[in-house]
Amino acid sequence: MPEKDKPMPATAAYSQATKSDIRMMVTLGSRSAPDSKSPPAACVCPVIRSNGFSLYYGTKAGVRDITMDIHPCTVTSIIGPSGCGKSTFLRSINRMNDLIPHVRTEGLLEVDGQNVYDKRTNLVNLRQQVGMVFQKPNPFPKSIFDNIAYGPRLQGIRRKEELHHIVEQSLKAAAIWDEVKDDLRKSALALSGGQQQRLCIARALATRPRVLLMDEPCSALDPIATGRIEDLIGQLQSTYTIVIVTHNMQQAARVSERAAFFCLGELIEYDRTEKIFSNPAKKQTEDYVTGRFG
Amino acid sequence: MNLGIRRTLDRVFTGLTGASIVLLMLVLVAVLGPMIYRGSGAVLFGGTIEFRKMQRDLFNRADRAALEAEIAEADRARQVVYDMIDRFKKGIDIATMSSEAREINREYGRELRYRDVASEEYTEAREVARIIRDKLEEAFSSQDIALIRANVAEVLAQKDEARFKGTVAERFFSLATDFLDAAEHIDLSHYHDYLVALDEVEVILFGSIEHPGLLGPRPNQSARPLAMTSYGATRWDRAQALLDRLLWAEKWVEKEPGQPLVKARSPRAALFHDTALEPLFAYVPEHLNEMLRPRFTVYWQFFIDDNFDSHYFGGVGPEIIGTLLITVVGMLFVVPLGVISAAYLVECASEGPIMRILRMSINTLAGVPSIVFGLFGLAFFVLFLFPKLGFEPKACILAASLTLAVLTLPVMIRASEEAIRTVPRSYKEGSLALGASRFRTFVTVTFPAALPGILTGVILSLSRIAGETAPILFTGAVAMGPVPKSIFDPTRTLSYGSYDMAVGDRLAMMVPHNQYGMVLTLIVLILVLNAVAIVLRSRVFKKLKGH
Repeated sequence: MPEKDKPMPATAAYSQATKSDIRMMVTLGSRSAPDSKSPPAACVCPVIRSNGFSLYYGTKAGVRDITMDIHPCTVTSIIGPSGCGKSTFLRSINRMNDLIPHVRTEGLLEVDGQNVYDKRTNLVNLRQQVGMVFQKPNPFPKSIFDNIAYGPRLQGIRRKEELHHIVEQSLKAAAIWDEVKDDLRKSALALSGGQQQRLCIARALATRPRVLLMDEPCSALDPIATGRIEDLIGQLQSTYTIVIVTHNMQQAARVSERAAFFCLGELIEYDRTEKIFSNPAKKQTEDYVTGRFG
Repeated sequence: MNLGIRRTLDRVFTGLTGASIVLLMLVLVAVLGPMIYRGSGAVLFGGTIEFRKMQRDLFNRADRAALEAEIAEADRARQVVYDMIDRFKKGIDIATMSSEAREINREYGRELRYRDVASEEYTEAREVARIIRDKLEEAFSSQDIALIRANVAEVLAQKDEARFKGTVAERFFSLATDFLDAAEHIDLSHYHDYLVALDEVEVILFGSIEHPGLLGPRPNQSARPLAMTSYGATRWDRAQALLDRLLWAEKWVEKEPGQPLVKARSPRAALFHDTALEPLFAYVPEHLNEMLRPRFTVYWQFFIDDNFDSHYFGGVGPEIIGTLLITVVGMLFVVPLGVISAAYLVECASEGPIMRILRMSINTLAGVPSIVFGLFGLAFFVLFLFPKLGFEPKACILAASLTLAVLTLPVMIRASEEAIRTVPRSYKEGSLALGASRFRTFVTVTFPAALPGILTGVILSLSRIAGETAPILFTGAVAMGPVPKSIFDPTRTLSYGSYDMAVGDRLAMMVPHNQYGMVLTLIVLILVLNAVAIVLRSRVFKKLKGH
């Protein structure tokens, strides 16, 4: 595990980024490259805004009355005990809960000012805006190239050079390019678990999202692979808004700037990570982070 | 439970597993072994000269010069048989002999007129000839050996008469000699029995208009309409069977009064004891090799040849083509339909009473007897649907394939459903999270991942379609007919061909090798098709696993 105890500042991440990364940021993102001088926390208007959002499985509430704003170009971690609705809330943001029958929502959930649960919302656009990385690495049983190119192809990009360019940039951004560049035709399933997860991140990046949702991305990985992913998150936060669900409180402390504590489907506390871990406002939070509960 | 018992149980379990595998393989060998043994007889056998003649005449396939030489050799050996039979006939066949005597008399008269002899001489010669003829006829129809001897002696007394020298009338004397020779050795009161027995021998040796014989028709006999009776035994094993029939007469006898009749075998030679024909029964087995000249033959053309006389001769070429056609067309229907249905059942349909009924129907459909599907195909596709679509309402490949597709649809749906269901949820989620629609997700991610399982369904329905008989009975199969030109023609198939040979007539008993050969071909065909699918599946599987 790399000796990285506190989150890497965005400026450092940016300076580490290669030139091509910057080019990609320019070409891929509709937004401009982040200003290296101003820290991401300084961005004002929230990317994700949740106002009294509730989600019910039939009659049982998955999450209840969540109100929180998630700011651009930050890493926000969601912590809490099992079954507290962390993943449910995360999956609500790109409507992955739609697959489950009898799901019902209340309240407002916006991404970029667009109501997620509006009937007119274009699901395809939403999911391309909001990329997702799952708990278990889930590359498709296709080649590395086809995995990454899957999203761009959905967007209608057919030209070989363009696809190649995107694949290369995405793999570089996910810090896996050097390991796979020689054999992009190899099956993605032949990679190791950590590589597969970085590949999945690259795949999510290839659709040029604004937001990256990570649902316990390291829980199936060993410490070294976890360290790599955490490094990667540090590098990505300058460009993307990242929401990460984690069980591992050290990890939350290491990678995130802001943290939200969920319990029994409700948002208990949402603040800067240092504050949550050192001086939480609520007793419940303190009990959890100090290990007295959960 | 203590460790020792546990270990023992473990061993017993392992042993049972091993034993069951061995048992399974034994069963497989027991089932396939005879099939392979008997079926290979259609391709590998001792082909006789008759086989080569048949190949030359029916399939235009021979080294003609060499074959002609061989035929001449064989005919030399056969001539002995012909002579023996002719000689014996002279003593027995009264009708023929009488007519011959009359014929000689007439011809002699014609000859005399032609030679322009004096009229008294002519009258006298005619008179003598007529007397000879009458004496002979009297002798022929008599059963009294003394009278016969006297008559023949009187006839033979004329033998040295100058007027008969060098004329047709000389044949009178050879006729008389032959007849006396035969008559001396037989019980004339039973000459009719000899005639019947001789007829049987002739049918076994030379065949008749409906029975194929051991040697085939005699060279001077008129041509027969059926190919199967125009040649002798084409196979050495068939020749052996006919030889057995020649040597042994079978008779149903009542051993005890009131008991069922039993078959008794007696040497046929005994029937001809002490006659001119007796040596035949020693000569034929001894010289059968020279008369038929068997040779080990690899008849690989069995798989491409058309057949003659309901598979008496020839191969299964059109049957293979028909089976492949029906299978391919059927798969074209069943695979897409099965996969789409399975996709609907897994991906789209929500559980409910309708789904339960639907699922139950599919399961029930899998257990419906295939003959029911056959009648359904006739009633629905051929008689109802085809006229509506403007096709001629007749049995054809299309109808048969559709019927078979319906028959195997449950198998296909179940296998595909299982395959689609076992695709990891994470694949689907990954695709959906990238913004793909559900259809797109199915086509680009779920379907490829489910392909090995779907191919298993393909293998199962392939074997079923290629092997079924009952559903195509009324919808597209025929026992004979031309090779189909389109899918709107009926066709012959291997499965229906085997069935038809089994129920058709006595032919199957005479050519079991062709029946078994057909079944073996079917098995091999299905195995080959399956092997292709299995190789395909393992390649897809490897690709999915990322090796």
